Amino acid sequence: MRRMSVYPQHGTALENLGLTAHEIQQEVENNTSELVSDLSDLSAGARFQAIRSLPMSYNERKAIRNRVNNIKLSKTILPTDCRQQVSLSFRRFRASLTSARQRLVVWQDTLKEIGGRFGTSVLSYFLFLKWLLKFNVFSFVINFCFITIPQIVHAPNISHVTGFRGLELLTGVGYFNQTVLFYGGYDGEVIVSKPAYNMQLAYFFTIAAYMVLCGLSLIYSMSRSFQKNFVLETGPVSGGAWRLLCSWDFSVVNEKAIQYNKNNLGIQLKESLSERLQMKNKISLSDRIKHLSLNLVAWLLCLLLALGSGAGIYFLGTEQLTFSFNQDPNDLVSEASTLLLPVVVSLINLIVPLLYSLIGKMETYSNPRAKIYISIARNIILKMSLLGILCFYWLNFVPDKIPCWESFVGQSVYRLLIIDFIFCLLGIFFGEFLRNVIGTMCIQSLGVPEFDIARNVLDLIYAQTLAWIGIYFSPLLPVMQVLKLFIIFYLKKLSLSMNCQPPKHTGRAAQIQTVFIALLFFPSFVGALSMVAFTVWSLQPSDQCGPFQGLKTPFHTIFNWTDSIQGPPETHWVWWIFENVLRSELFYYLISLIVLVITFFLWQITQGRKQLIKSLREQIVNGGKDKAFLLNKLQNIQRQRREIASYSPQPIRRSMRGSVRTVAQEFDQTTYYNPNWINTLPMDM
Amino acid sequence: MGGTASKLPKELLSEYQELTFLTKQEILLAHKRFSELQGRENGPYSSRVSMEKILTLPELKSNPFRKRICHVFSTSDLRDGSLTFEDFLDLLSAFSDSATLEIKSHYAFRIFDFDDDGTLDGRDLEKLVNCLTGETDDTRLTAEEMRQLISNILEESDIDKDGTVNPSEFQHVISRSPDFVSSFKIVL
Repeated sequence: MRRMSVYPQHGTALENLGLTAHEIQQEVENNTSELVSDLSDLSAGARFQAIRSLPMSYNERKAIRNRVNNIKLSKTILPTDCRQQVSLSFRRFRASLTSARQRLVVWQDTLKEIGGRFGTSVLSYFLFLKWLLKFNVFSFVINFCFITIPQIVHAPNISHVTGFRGLELLTGVGYFNQTVLFYGGYDGEVIVSKPAYNMQLAYFFTIAAYMVLCGLSLIYSMSRSFQKNFVLETGPVSGGAWRLLCSWDFSVVNEKAIQYNKNNLGIQLKESLSERLQMKNKISLSDRIKHLSLNLVAWLLCLLLALGSGAGIYFLGTEQLTFSFNQDPNDLVSEASTLLLPVVVSLINLIVPLLYSLIGKMETYSNPRAKIYISIARNIILKMSLLGILCFYWLNFVPDKIPCWESFVGQSVYRLLIIDFIFCLLGIFFGEFLRNVIGTMCIQSLGVPEFDIARNVLDLIYAQTLAWIGIYFSPLLPVMQVLKLFIIFYLKKLSLSMNCQPPKHTGRAAQIQTVFIALLFFPSFVGALSMVAFTVWSLQPSDQCGPFQGLKTPFHTIFNWTDSIQGPPETHWVWWIFENVLRSELFYYLISLIVLVITFFLWQITQGRKQLIKSLREQIVNGGKDKAFLLNKLQNIQRQRREIASYSPQPIRRSMRGSVRTVAQEFDQTTYYNPNWINTLPMDM
Repeated sequence: MGGTASKLPKELLSEYQELTFLTKQEILLAHKRFSELQGRENGPYSSRVSMEKILTLPELKSNPFRKRICHVFSTSDLRDGSLTFEDFLDLLSAFSDSATLEIKSHYAFRIFDFDDDGTLDGRDLEKLVNCLTGETDDTRLTAEEMRQLISNILEESDIDKDGTVNPSEFQHVISRSPDFVSSFKIVL
């Protein structure tokens, strides 16, 4: 698309080159009409977007739009007119939909305030939190509608073994044991109504649908984020000065925050300068070996710590299992002892990352970005190994030993979530509030604590993984997660404005956000999904409780269902699809083949584009050289002209043309050979 | 927000929606804020608000580029930085979430181009850096550092080696700084 230049000063530059005002106007008019004809060839939607994206003032855009519309009107014949009407009304509808959605945005003002005071990078934490909240609200709504309400309406399966004592809120056992909060509170009967409501199928399909939708939405946001934030970095290695200047946050409106940002930017610019100087002095080989071995030792220590805490959790879990085997349901002490495991897990989650950051301090990395990514990687390894060990223990030892094992797992996840929440509150109080008091009152050198985005986001990811793992075992777990996220949102906001200062190194906020979404997808969601899938596919559900009692695996409910619909001819096709498409290897073989081929093609296209970018870059460089060369030539010629003009003043020149032929010929020759006609204009006028 | 809907004629509102990146809500809010600045409720839409008044908006008050922003978006012949309502919408549209990278980089370039000559030269860059760094001694760059920084910047972005950064080179720079789109944002 052709874009018009709107620099008024370009006009003056052209004037210096010798164009008359009329010619400039002509040129501009030509440009405009070309633009208008370009625009009128576009489809309606693209045209509006293109007009909106013209870098001109409002009235100029309006004029362009009117001209385009006039052309359109003169060209229109009836069918396209009809189509235009439809597309117009469709666009109006879409616009009203977006504005309706904007009204529904929660916390808009709060988020704006946070962005205005702490900048985009801190805001991204809160946006992430809000995004997770949406997932959980959605999950709660569908679970409640399709699983819980039918169960409550059909048979309020509540047989209280014990009264409510308060401790249940933390442990989830006792009073809650037989409620709809956990798997054990449901039974798999077919509710007799018209049409019949099969609880087994409802349970299965609700959880499956939620997982699939979550996966799709994650993949979608991940790809969007990748597309937007990960850009090709070609060409010379950037020193980062531009990146720093371009990351200036226009949304910050607080005077103090702006001052703070300015100071930070100054420091960062100075750092980048000194880094650049350091880069020029090559690091010696012995230093590099030293750095490398330090990194190796640090990684080894971190992995050992993760391994050690995993093993500790494993032994603690198996120990507790034998212990809780013969417990009395009314014994408060034994009930409270079930809290030991979650407390230990949360303690590990609290302390080991601190050790990691200590270890990280002794290492040296050439760039701060690598340091951030490595610290994220280590923390995620720790958290995922803890969760992996817990899942292993739940799936391998619990099913054989506990009668209603799904409820037991659900309760364990519930306890982990609750204790994690309490630790988060304590973290806000001790980690941020007290640290601020100490930093400002007692030890001034500590200063105000920084808001650590990476640590906070990783905590959120951990909690969300737990919620996903628990969804099969405790369908109403999302309620807990929703409440928790809601409270955390407000407390974090409060703590942020009272205790913390925004992080100093804010660059690359967008890329880190992409990394977080990717992390939420890869170890977190995929891990939880495989855990749930394994349970559904290959573990025998407990005999005495739950919707799937008496089946070999929960997945068998699908076989039973397809068997039942095989008979009647009107549903036969569903059975046929299931039997011949979904259960055949050939189908999946073909699908994966097609996906592979498409991937290969896309990869080839990317390679081609990379090549194109490279050659375009070269063209720009060559274009620059051409420009310099031509400018040089132009200046030389102009100088020559001036010299000649000073030899022959204007009146003599005129007379020369008439009388002295030879001189005139000489002169004409110089004008004739002059390649640039623009040059001659100002002198003759 | 609903009460302000009656003040803007419907055709005008849909025209604004068509020609800017703003949604209906944003336009109505902008209109409300703008008429507060105008000081009268049902004034003609083309009347200008002076730069001093515009800069009393909390969203712009502390912005280090506030005057440049007004000058860039002003269509006034006097070059006094005063804005009409359309100019004001242009401003908000360029700084909105849905504006394209091209629009954003175009206006960023013009804001950073302090002497309005169509290129970012050494003096523009120096002013830009001074705008964005603190005034205290330990954050202010020394002359030597400034010289170094500007030569780094030019080395990094001046592809055709003419000593200045032109709009297309600037756009190239912007397309490699992913944070730019999210941070080049002003919301009313």
